[in-house]
Amino acid sequence: MTATAPSPFRLLLEVNLRQGWRRLLALREQSRLLTGLIVVFLLGYAALAFKLFQVGLRFAGSFPGLGSVLIERMLFLLFAFLFVLLLLSNLVISYSNLFRNRETTFLLPLPVPSEVVFRWKFIESMLLASWAFVFLVAPLLAAYGLNRGVPWHFYPITVLFIALFIALPAAGGAWCAVAVARFLDRRSFQLTALLTGAVVVAVVAFWLRPLQVTDEELETRVLVVLDNLLARTQFAIFPLLPSYWLSAGVQQWAEGALAAAVFFALVLLSHALFFGTLMFTRMGAWFYGAASMVQSRSSLLGRWTWFRAWQVRRARARLERGPAERLFDWLPFVAADTRALIVKDLRLFWRDTTQWAQSLVLFGLLAVYILNLRHFSQQLTNTFWITVVAYLNLGACALNLATLTTRFVYPQFSLEGKRLWIVGLAPLGLPRVLLAKFALGTGISLGLSLGLILLSCRLLDLAWDRTLLYASAITVMAFTLNGLAIGLGALYPNLKEDNPSKIVSGFGGTFCLVLSFVYIVGSVLVLAFASPWNPAAGFRFETYVAWGVFVVLSILLGWLPLRAGLRQALRFEH
Amino acid sequence: MIELDHLVKRFGDLVAVNDVTLTVPRGEFFAVLGPNAAGKTTTIKIVTGLMKPTSGRARVAGFDVQAHPLEARQRLAFVPDFPFLYDKLTPLEFLRFTARLFRMPENVVEGPGQELIARFNLGTYLGQTIESLSHGTKQRVAIVSALLHDPEVCVLDEPMVGLDPHHARVLKDVLKERSERGMTVFVSTHQLSVAEEMADRIGIMHEGRLIAVGTREELRRRSGTSGALEQTFLALTAQEANLREERALATTAAGGPRGS
Repeated sequence: MTATAPSPFRLLLEVNLRQGWRRLLALREQSRLLTGLIVVFLLGYAALAFKLFQVGLRFAGSFPGLGSVLIERMLFLLFAFLFVLLLLSNLVISYSNLFRNRETTFLLPLPVPSEVVFRWKFIESMLLASWAFVFLVAPLLAAYGLNRGVPWHFYPITVLFIALFIALPAAGGAWCAVAVARFLDRRSFQLTALLTGAVVVAVVAFWLRPLQVTDEELETRVLVVLDNLLARTQFAIFPLLPSYWLSAGVQQWAEGALAAAVFFALVLLSHALFFGTLMFTRMGAWFYGAASMVQSRSSLLGRWTWFRAWQVRRARARLERGPAERLFDWLPFVAADTRALIVKDLRLFWRDTTQWAQSLVLFGLLAVYILNLRHFSQQLTNTFWITVVAYLNLGACALNLATLTTRFVYPQFSLEGKRLWIVGLAPLGLPRVLLAKFALGTGISLGLSLGLILLSCRLLDLAWDRTLLYASAITVMAFTLNGLAIGLGALYPNLKEDNPSKIVSGFGGTFCLVLSFVYIVGSVLVLAFASPWNPAAGFRFETYVAWGVFVVLSILLGWLPLRAGLRQALRFEH
Repeated sequence: MIELDHLVKRFGDLVAVNDVTLTVPRGEFFAVLGPNAAGKTTTIKIVTGLMKPTSGRARVAGFDVQAHPLEARQRLAFVPDFPFLYDKLTPLEFLRFTARLFRMPENVVEGPGQELIARFNLGTYLGQTIESLSHGTKQRVAIVSALLHDPEVCVLDEPMVGLDPHHARVLKDVLKERSERGMTVFVSTHQLSVAEEMADRIGIMHEGRLIAVGTREELRRRSGTSGALEQTFLALTAQEANLREERALATTAAGGPRGS
């Protein structure tokens, strides 16, 4: 009983489009207020980013004789960094999508060629990994086009350039994901990721270390300084980098050099076609072998005796009390059941390599940020600007804190998933489970954020009274943001999903991110406008009012969702 | 039919499937039993093509699963213990989707599929999204979708999980009827009653090895028991465990294992 059926790829596409459409329609069942808020936030971000890019590009372009060179190099640099980030993002998402995805396991025993399964998952991963990139660069390219007064066809052509470009990091990321799955088990991957991260941070910190420029040099030898800057960032115009083809093509089109732009478009097209063909036709068998290896829990390192011996030692060590348990033994005032819950959460996080890898990317970026901060204190002499940078640094640390709470703390309740009854029916009770997760999230994120703010203030050479004030602000924010994340996580649980990224990208996670962002921007602005330093010379009435407003707002935004979450937990039906 | 030829699967130092050779002929209902971590699921994963064997071969309906995967899968149905279904589709859409993947005519669900849908009482659920269904109903949808293309070989891993007694009975009846019509059934289960009642032959796996294969009577004779299958199973696995212990002691007495 056979019939001419459409290709399996088309069937997969149809089914997944239908699923996606129904998910979109399901949004109608959510609160309109929340949907509206998120739409406003997304549009607001696009408008704000567009305005900032427009002002920034105008400012950079206003340097006589140098403006266009600076803008050109900035675009090359931006796309080069985004290329690397896209590569990492594609690696992580492709790995999850290819090897930890139930749809893949469902499809493999069906009469669907492994090439088709890989093809479908490759496209899905590419779209998942690249939408944020498109969302980020769209306002930039719109601002660039408007500043340059480009013709209308610049915009559709840019879309084409970007569509061709995102295929390349997607191919690279998917290839790396299959290689990682084929050769590395969880522990070898963690080791490799740590080592690679450390090497990359060291290389970037060394290569991009700021130049020491005196005020005199800035005034008299601008060309030399600029020359140094261009030489140091020359890697971004390495002609074999796909980001170079994209930046060069877009800029050439804006300048009206259509032949050169078409050349770069063709270079991108030929590479996209070449690597796309490899992905579509040659990776299926390799992917199938890697999928089998992932299930076989074998590793390339398993060939060596030392690794096998180490694995045996680890297996033995797991029979004993682990370091986390021993650590919490020192906290006898924490109840035994709460300790058990916290140790369980820590272990699950540590053993989930995907979460781990994403936090590594975040901390790598933070390390680069921190390494560059000290140069502000050496180069800024105006006390007003030092104050501005100090508040911007507070904002950056707070945004990092919000990233941690939204990405890692918000999904904690949902991650109990179908196992929620285990903790829910224990004498501990769900409200205490929530409070334990709140305490753990606050403890870790506060520790990291305090370390970050103290280190950054030290590198900015700020006085202790200032450092103390910023540390107090970040402490209040840590309690608020964790309360918000835990509370909303319990109010909008997604107990069906095991993947924390997908839990966060749901409605409640996005709402948490929007509220955190608005809270941080509002708080930093309120605190900065009533700053006791520069132009003011000490604490004044407005300072106390601003701190009062900040603390009350923080209590409301942290406590109310947490209380609602606790009540929800009390009423929770398993 | 299913043919396993000196099948071996290693996970590092652990041998999950150890030199398993077995032929399940066309139309036979074969149940594989074994304690946890005996290698049953790994064997199923190799048969269904989810995993490559370290060595040896698995053939389904005459096709090597690794060398001719599409031909083998076209003739195979697999029902895992916790099947994946697309949450936002309705059962009807899902059944149409799997039917088309197996190159069946579009009307197979409305035509020949109706009998299966009726027997598993899915008619009232066909228009609801799968996410709103109970675990047992989802399991029934997965079973119907697996049997829709009239497979030559059906592999089931703990198929009774989540099914109520009525639908467990329906599944047993359907599988028995199909096996009488020529479908080979390979079931891994911990429910000894399923094997006792349904299976033409039973295989017992222990620590990766297929330690015994035969009809209920043959296994009873071999184990030296006369009661229910439970006693036979416990006796055979205990015998195997004792045998291993004796071998280990003998090796130690002879100077220990040769270093690797």
